[in-house]
Amino acid sequence: MNNETVFELRDVAYAYEGKQTALEHVSLSIQAGERVAVLGSNGSGKSTLLKLLDGLYFATHGVIRAYGQQLTEAAFDDDAFNFAFRRRVGLVFQDTDVQLFSPSVWEEMAFAPMQLALGRQEVEARVDDALRALRIEKLRDRAPHRLSGGEKRRVALASVLTLQPEVWLLDEPTTGLDPRSQSWLIDFIAEQGQAGKTVITATHDLSIVDAIAERVFVFDESHHLAAQGAAGDILADNGLLLACNLSHAHRHRHAETGEEHTHPHSHPPAHTHQHAAGSQGSTADVQSH
Amino acid sequence: MLNSPAYMHIPDGYLSPLTSLILFILVLPFWYRGVRGLRRRINARNVPLIALMAAFSFIIMMFNVPLPGGTTGHAVAGALVAIVLGPDIAVIAISIALIIQAIFFGDGGILQIGANCFNMAVVLPYISYAIYRLIAAGRPITSRRRVVGAAVGGWIGLTVAAFFAAVEFGIQPIFWHAADGAPLYAPYSLSVAIPAMVIPHMLIASVIEGLVAALVVLYLQRANTPVLEMAERPAGAVEAEASGSVSRLRWLWVGLIILVIATPLGLLAPGTAWGEWSSSQLANMGLMFIPHGMAALENLWGAPLAGYDLPALGNTSLGYVLSALVGVALVAIIAWLFTRLFASAQPHEGQKEQ
Amino acid sequence: MTSRAEPALPQPASVRRRNGMVERTLAGISQAMEHALFAEETARRAGLLQALDPRVKVLAMLALLIAVALSRSLAVIAGLYAVTLALAWASAIPLGFFIKRVWLFLPFFTGVIALPALFITPGPPLAQLPLGLAITRAGATTALFLLLRVSTSVSLAALLIFTTPWNDVLKALGVLRVPDAVILIFGMTYRYIYLLLRTANDMFLSRKSRVVGRLSGAEERRMIGASAGVLLGKSLHLSSEVYLAMQSRGYRSHSHTPSVATFVMRRRDWAALFIAALIAAAAIVLGR
Ligand SMILES: Nc1ncnc2c1ncn2[C@@H]1O[C@H](COP(=O)(O)OP(=O)(O)O)[C@@H](O)[C@H]1O
Ligand SMILES: [Mg+2]
Repeated sequence: MNNETVFELRDVAYAYEGKQTALEHVSLSIQAGERVAVLGSNGSGKSTLLKLLDGLYFATHGVIRAYGQQLTEAAFDDDAFNFAFRRRVGLVFQDTDVQLFSPSVWEEMAFAPMQLALGRQEVEARVDDALRALRIEKLRDRAPHRLSGGEKRRVALASVLTLQPEVWLLDEPTTGLDPRSQSWLIDFIAEQGQAGKTVITATHDLSIVDAIAERVFVFDESHHLAAQGAAGDILADNGLLLACNLSHAHRHRHAETGEEHTHPHSHPPAHTHQHAAGSQGSTADVQSH
Repeated sequence: MLNSPAYMHIPDGYLSPLTSLILFILVLPFWYRGVRGLRRRINARNVPLIALMAAFSFIIMMFNVPLPGGTTGHAVAGALVAIVLGPDIAVIAISIALIIQAIFFGDGGILQIGANCFNMAVVLPYISYAIYRLIAAGRPITSRRRVVGAAVGGWIGLTVAAFFAAVEFGIQPIFWHAADGAPLYAPYSLSVAIPAMVIPHMLIASVIEGLVAALVVLYLQRANTPVLEMAERPAGAVEAEASGSVSRLRWLWVGLIILVIATPLGLLAPGTAWGEWSSSQLANMGLMFIPHGMAALENLWGAPLAGYDLPALGNTSLGYVLSALVGVALVAIIAWLFTRLFASAQPHEGQKEQ
Repeated sequence: MTSRAEPALPQPASVRRRNGMVERTLAGISQAMEHALFAEETARRAGLLQALDPRVKVLAMLALLIAVALSRSLAVIAGLYAVTLALAWASAIPLGFFIKRVWLFLPFFTGVIALPALFITPGPPLAQLPLGLAITRAGATTALFLLLRVSTSVSLAALLIFTTPWNDVLKALGVLRVPDAVILIFGMTYRYIYLLLRTANDMFLSRKSRVVGRLSGAEERRMIGASAGVLLGKSLHLSSEVYLAMQSRGYRSHSHTPSVATFVMRRRDWAALFIAALIAAAAIVLGR
């Protein structure tokens, strides 16, 4: 695993139309080859964060760097920068109806490589590979709007897979998947991780976290980064999860031990949380707001 | 083939190919203007924006709208889309919806795409929007006048569009007929076609068009004002020049009237030369032929617009052009009166942005 | 004729029970969806036209449409109509369905305009009717012209749609020099019509389920304002999200999105094109 920093955020804030706050005081960094999860309840700002990381929105405050370069609107006006960035980073949107805008699966999958001006043959080869990798050869000529929810998810992944990105940004990829597809997706993320890709997954589904991430960022409902740390530690901390509205039940299973605990209702709010540094020994210390 | 959403959709067979071609050519500059405007003002966003707004227009045309009294019908939603996006972009969105209807659902002829787009995607949104802006008079986004403007704009816009369709029909029997004199395409003369199209539209379809625009504006005022502001924002979908620039709108009216003249003229030119049309020949072609039994009915229809045929004029072709002009002038005067009426209701604020 | 089961024929408006606005709108929506589903299904069948290059079909349709429009002979137009029936039969489109489809759904204009033409058009009377009305020979000719032209034209368009996936129709428009960006927009429009149709459908269904009894006209109108407003908001929101999704995959304002059509003209395509041109030319010449 190399130690290149892929994303570096310093005191980032984002507000929609300048009013509606979606993220505030976010500082974090993500290394190449890491698999991380972005945890948070609905509306906590996960999707916004991924769009910021993908250079679709730009921080209203603070600085975001990708591979050491600051992400600004001006930077993306430069075709060369845009090209290089888009080629390395791929985002799979939360809403597959947004992701899949083309009239056929094949065209959906060919869209990204075509935008990147790859040759016709290269495009075809990539699409064929991705079709095979995701076992969706049969969907090749279907219209995306005629697919089932699970099929749409696969095609959405496929449409980014043809880009062969170094960094995957996955926004709630397990939503609407049956258990089998879900475990298939977890395997997919594991494979990408093994291939040295960086995989950043936004989710509120605690049950998949330790399978898809070594490190976790937790966002609370006031759009702050409430905690970050190793997946096991975060999952073990019910106070934190309760406070961030990620765990609703009183009983909760510990990720590593499988023990069941019954937590008292009066668990102290844990907006402030401390964790040991993650395996990278990098900046995974305290984030308290 | 669908349960036809609005009966403005002209099918193939009602207009001669030449008429269709001329109307197609007339639409081209508007398409060009729309596309160029999109490119300049909202660049890359245009692709999904247009696609979604075209899809939206398509869906709205499927809404079954009840009128007080039990009649129901469908809106074209040209007024609504123009109010939200501005007319330049509305032209493109509505055209795409109409083209998909023609090709995929068989609503409106494929060869009539030009004619249908001209009536419903050019005339309707531009006129509706002009009237909406005039009545809104730069008033705040939540002003009642905007609702009134949307209603009146939609009503007049579709009525004028129906008038154009009627003129397109009405000139068919003048120029195209079989050897035995039977009209080859739409069979009715202007004197029949115009009242037959315009009056029912004024009573039903145009009311629905205005109603839908007004209802949605009313809803947006309560629930989603940014959408209403879109067409007004300089950085938004429509250029700043549109904000209340009356002279610009007046220019538009002039342009439309020129088009009205151009339509019959354009049709005359490639046929026989002007002078060769004797009035008796024209009369033979179904200009004013009404069998005795139908005369009463015809008179009923024709009464309010009796001047259309101007038979006293020696040159009957000129009579047609003039009657077309009179029709447009009438509608324009109605539109103008309406806008004056509403503008004078609140004279102080009315002046603000003009 | 094919032995395959005919798909359920959507009911024309007049056959449906008089209902509230919600029911009628829902019926219209499901009619549109059924039409699309049916077209997708017939386009996948094995048949004569399905086997042809979409570009050939588009060009042939246009040529024949123009021939129908130009022809001044009823017999010639009737002949072209017979051609469309033969093509439908050869393309595994249930013939009864095809005919019903075209005639039951003839646009409003046809009935309303063709009928009075029987009487209004001047000429020697063919049949005398009460009320001093007479069907004139010229009137009958005119009405026939309208009916035949409309039904033949609608049949030609239907043949294209029932034998060609919509996506291929779009790609084929490239031969008419329709720019790639416009084709992209058309594809996207069609795709999102579905999404919005489904959204509208759900919206009306959920309202219907919450309403006991019939809504008053005023309530219905308020509902229309709200539903259309919600849909508009959703459309605009989707459009900006889709824009982000395109951007994320490298789309730029000056992007070139090459058409992905990979049609290959085979011998039978050329033959079909030639035959269509021949028929169209013959129809125009004979129908002068
Ligand atoms: N397009 C938008 N316009 C305005 N506010 C938005 C928009 N998208 C999201 N928000 C708001 O931003 C906050 C964060 O949203 P989001 O990033 O989508 O959260 P999550 O993905 O965690 O559910 C929410 O309060 C949401 O209402
Ligand atoms: Mg989200």
